[in-house]
Amino acid sequence: MRVIPISAHAGITGFESPAAEYTQLGLSLDELLITHPNASFLCLAEGDSMQDVGIYDGDVLIVDRHETARNGDVIVANFNGLFVCKLIDTQRRLLLSCNEQYQPVSVHEYDEFSIEGVVTRSIRCHRPSPLLCP
Amino acid sequence: MFALVDANSFYCSCEQVFRPDWRKKPVVVLSNNDGMVVAANRQAKEAGIPKFVPYFQIRDLCQKKGVIALSSNYELYADLSAKMMQIIGRFAPEQYVYSIDESFLSFNRCYPAITCLKTHAQAIRRTVWKEARLPVCVGIGSTLTLAKIANHAAKQIPGYAGVCVIESGQQRLAILQQMPVGEVWGIGRRLSAKLTLIGITTAAQLAAMPPGLARKQFNIELERTVRELNGQVCKQWDEARADKQQIFSTRSLGERITDIDALQQALCKHAGIAAAKARQQGSSCKSMLVFASNSPHDERPVSYKAVVQFPCPTASTAEITAAVSRVLPQVFRSGVRYYKIGVGLVELMPTKHIQYDLFHAPTENPALMQTFDKLNQRYGSDCIFMAAQGIEHKWAMRRDKLTPQYTTKWMNLPKVQC
Repeated sequence: MRVIPISAHAGITGFESPAAEYTQLGLSLDELLITHPNASFLCLAEGDSMQDVGIYDGDVLIVDRHETARNGDVIVANFNGLFVCKLIDTQRRLLLSCNEQYQPVSVHEYDEFSIEGVVTRSIRCHRPSPLLCP
Repeated sequence: MFALVDANSFYCSCEQVFRPDWRKKPVVVLSNNDGMVVAANRQAKEAGIPKFVPYFQIRDLCQKKGVIALSSNYELYADLSAKMMQIIGRFAPEQYVYSIDESFLSFNRCYPAITCLKTHAQAIRRTVWKEARLPVCVGIGSTLTLAKIANHAAKQIPGYAGVCVIESGQQRLAILQQMPVGEVWGIGRRLSAKLTLIGITTAAQLAAMPPGLARKQFNIELERTVRELNGQVCKQWDEARADKQQIFSTRSLGERITDIDALQQALCKHAGIAAAKARQQGSSCKSMLVFASNSPHDERPVSYKAVVQFPCPTASTAEITAAVSRVLPQVFRSGVRYYKIGVGLVELMPTKHIQYDLFHAPTENPALMQTFDKLNQRYGSDCIFMAAQGIEHKWAMRRDKLTPQYTTKWMNLPKVQC
């Protein structure tokens, strides 16, 4: 339900809060986590290949398209028509996983490949968020 | 100098942002209720899909050619459009968003500071692709009309690769000579037919017309267009979109309507949409058209309409809704399976300039409507509405091929393989 955030006044005024002059805007997670709001998108991680950098199945990733990927960045790429999250090795043209069970994947000429953005933050819900659960 | 930045087949491109497997593939987007093809990308056009044809006529062709057909996902387009416009806005001190996928920029006060407009235009194109994953074309010219023409050239004439700056007179002429007169901004089909009759078929020929003659034989608008084609600034932002003379809200129905109550609800819903639009541009209407019909593809196509004259021009949802309910019997026949219905507000005039009648006092309540609009603006559209619209909309839009709302719903976030 949406509540109108205006308090009702009943004629009794009381005392003005001595802190009223010092009120600041509440802290916003957007401000902390999203540097380029128009160039960023959110997505959901699926799989365990990145768990050694702390990205687990079901985490929310913030992908920033404004940033240019540097060697060693965690990125989201379009690899043959699929969004994948990997660590990029620009020198050897490799997509590295962060889990011993997965081998590096090299990007060939014939592959369809483009970097979609840099994963600048990842968010884990230690208790599931009702917004993300069906 | 002005720029026009315009996305290439915007709806289709939006659908490809979060579906990398659809990039470079033919995509078409269908209108409300999956009725008509409203957008087709280059690959779809190459596969032989024309725009504005009923979907059922090309369904087999789509399947054969592997064309991806989708319902229109307006929630996604609106969000991506807003982000794209913000990115484009960084490139000039003044911006005017002209439509969901087009934006004008003005470099008037900073032109010498930008040393090369072409490099700047290429940067816009590159940045929008990098940050929004949407392909755009950029046209730059010394007037809004020329910017629009440059944009058209950037898209259509090979060799420009999405960026066209009209700087020299020679280059301007070369482009105008290649452009049919009907493609010029503000020249509609009827006007272009008339111009063809007097031997004007290309934009270059129109530009060569003496401006005085254009006004004498046609109207002042054409004179302004002629002057703009020659590099003389006549059009400004706020004039770029004049108030609409009439406002229609129509739709084909998701599920056919056969009973009078459902027809009333659907018509009242459209009356509400049209009235809100009229208030937004500060207009009131003197007469209204109410119409309802079955499909032209039905065995016996029928259509009914009713005209309402208001004694006092109005923009009040309450008054317009009441009038719709009054004329309802004129458009309802039992046994007809209604497919397309709508309401049109015609004879619109600026609310500021209404001449009131000595014998009819205005009955609308502007303060009420202002509150009504503000509530809907603040708490989401249709947070408050006329009860005549009904609560259950069985006839609402059908969108069978709808893609997820990737950027506006938590449950629809795109998935990434780790």
